[in-house]
Amino acid sequence: MREADSVDVTEDITRFYQPELARVIAKQRLSEMMVMLRLQRASGEMLEHQPGQFLQISLPGYGEAPISFCSSPTRTESFELCVAAVGNLSEAMHELRPGDFVGIRGPYGKGFPLEDLRGRDVLCIAGGIGLAPLRSLINYVADRRAEFGRMILVYGARKPSERLFKDDLANWDAREDFETLYTVDEADEGWTGRTGVATVPLRDEVEIDPTRTTASVVGPPVMYRYVAAELLAKGMAEDDILFSLERRFKCGMGKCGHCQLNDLYVCQDGPVFRYTQLIGRSEAIEVWAPEDERQ
Amino acid sequence: MAAELLMTPYAMDRFMGRLIAEGPVMGPRDRRVQPGFVKFEWLSSADELVLEYTTTTIPPKKAFFPPRQPLFEFELSEPPTITAVQEATPFTLVGVHPCDLAGLSMLDDAYAREPAEACWPAARARARVIGVDCLPDEYCFCFAMNTCNSREGADLFLTPIARGYLVEVLTEAGEEMLRLSDVEDAEDEDRSQAQAFRRDKGNRLSASIDASPEEFAEILETQELGELWREIAGRCYSCGSCNTTCPTCFCFDINDEFDLGLTGGQRVRTWDSCQLQEFALVAGGHNFRRIRWQRVRHRWHRKFLYLYRTFGRPYCTGCGRCSRACTADINIVDVSNEVIARARGRV
Ligand SMILES: Cc1cc2nc3c(=O)[nH]c(=O)nc-3n(C[C@H](O)[C@H](O)[C@H](O)COP(=O)(O)OP(=O)(O)OC[C@H]3O[C@@H](n4cnc5c(N)ncnc54)[C@H](O)[C@@H]3O)c2cc1C
Ligand code: SF4
Ligand code: SF4
Ligand code: FES
Repeated sequence: MREADSVDVTEDITRFYQPELARVIAKQRLSEMMVMLRLQRASGEMLEHQPGQFLQISLPGYGEAPISFCSSPTRTESFELCVAAVGNLSEAMHELRPGDFVGIRGPYGKGFPLEDLRGRDVLCIAGGIGLAPLRSLINYVADRRAEFGRMILVYGARKPSERLFKDDLANWDAREDFETLYTVDEADEGWTGRTGVATVPLRDEVEIDPTRTTASVVGPPVMYRYVAAELLAKGMAEDDILFSLERRFKCGMGKCGHCQLNDLYVCQDGPVFRYTQLIGRSEAIEVWAPEDERQ
Repeated sequence: MAAELLMTPYAMDRFMGRLIAEGPVMGPRDRRVQPGFVKFEWLSSADELVLEYTTTTIPPKKAFFPPRQPLFEFELSEPPTITAVQEATPFTLVGVHPCDLAGLSMLDDAYAREPAEACWPAARARARVIGVDCLPDEYCFCFAMNTCNSREGADLFLTPIARGYLVEVLTEAGEEMLRLSDVEDAEDEDRSQAQAFRRDKGNRLSASIDASPEEFAEILETQELGELWREIAGRCYSCGSCNTTCPTCFCFDINDEFDLGLTGGQRVRTWDSCQLQEFALVAGGHNFRRIRWQRVRHRWHRKFLYLYRTFGRPYCTGCGRCSRACTADINIVDVSNEVIARARGRV
């Protein structure tokens, strides 16, 4: 019932669309295309998140986009995002300097199901910048090592110069309790490691106990179908294969419709999905789809 | 049964005049440049109101979800400041047909689903709604969609009768509004005329969907109808008119706009359409509904399958606006019935 001649709506609008401020406290260039930003909420409060979740990040005037956390929630005083320069907003984000402000909303979405991963062997398969969200999970496992079984990482980059998180890659590689398989599509002079796509070492070099293993896969859309085939060939159950999907996001809250994948909203029901959720959904075209849906 | 009263045309005119004097009123009125075509617009006087009309191109959802809506303003100071754009003035929405009342109620449900959206319910809380009954044209199929007698969300509801309007008082807010009016007790004759109006409306509604909502959803879910979608998409221009005219479409885009001085601007929400090619495009050129028939199919699946399963009714009111708007003559009833016929022909 309306009694006063205005209605108080302040709380509501703020909750849904309006970002809070966060401050850039460090910036690191990872490759020609990628920078990593370390951020802190302007309020000074901690931001709790799960590996695989995302933030809606914005610069006033340039818009808003979803970016995954690439830091582990075990390292709480700040958080890190890794941004590829692909458009208006992300290019502007490459210009940010420590002390600058950005807007954030979130964390949103369903990340990697840590409860289900505990006690199991963790197999991560990363392609290109897909390593960013997986770094959050891998460092979580590193910090809580006793809670997990084997930790296996297969990582493929296009070129040595495009490899991300070189310090982390070296640290993981040096650990006795991590198994790492790194590859590049095209070697350069300094490269002495594997060449070829990530599915090759996955197929030829990774031996797993399929009943004990959960696979977490993040990479470009073209990678997913091939990785799925390799994992199934190793005897893995579809329910133990997790894919993080990318779609166009506007609201991040299951309303704007942009991220819809059949009846699912990738922003709310994902971005991390079990393979079982995607089978039979024709619009999960990167994972499986009849030929004429892909084109 | 809600209280029923009589309002004469003269009393209606005075009632509207007083409502407009009291605060903003949006209702159907003639397009200035195109008399005979009615649109929902802010009314400056009671004589602008056209209470008896067939349909509008744009549904009344625009009162609560404007085609272009600033969400907040920003200043590029250090740190940047962000100020929410808050509309707080109460208003009245007049002349809403039953199918459109149902459409508003569907968007209530859609936006309230957790995490609940904020702008829509805030705007709904500011408004009183007066519905009015109508007579259909050949595109209407509200009977088939079970919306033709909806009173959802209306505070008052009007049915045209010989002596003026039979007024159903549906809420306390409706009763409160009637303090501004000169109503009389309705007589049995008024009530039976209103019933006759509804009967006449029902009799004129010929267009219908040939399957129950559940059967239709099952068909869409289980039948591979790529051939049919391709045929239909062969005529579609992907113009998006079917979405922008639809009372149950609620997708949107969000973009930033700079002021001329480039020191500040606004984040703006605008209507969007899943029929446009870039709707599902992401960086790197991946488009998850690149081909037109995938988008055409998506519109049917979203309305009659996904949202039906989530909310328990198809997200179509039977208003026929998309069919009227489509220059390619893609008619929602015809296509739906073709889907049903082909699916049945197979089994
Ligand atoms: C869950 C999730 C997590 C993500 N995590 C990360 C991450 O950790 N790091 C990261 O770098 N990215 C991530 N992304 C991707 C990132 O959100 C997008 O790349 C985002 O679009 C970048 O915004 P932008 O404004 O810079 O680019 P945009 O301006 O959106 O443009 C990007 C490109 O898309 C195309 N495009 C966009 N809009 C249109 C249009 N209207 N018409 C035609 N073409 C268009 C253009 O080719 C353009 O070059 C993630 C996405 C999702 C869904
Ligand atoms: S109005 Fe008709 S032509 Fe335009 S997008 Fe819709 S179906 Fe296609
Ligand atoms: S789909 Fe067409 S007939 Fe159904 S509510 Fe939308 S515009 Fe009206
Ligand atoms: S991003 Fe808006 S619905 Fe998912």
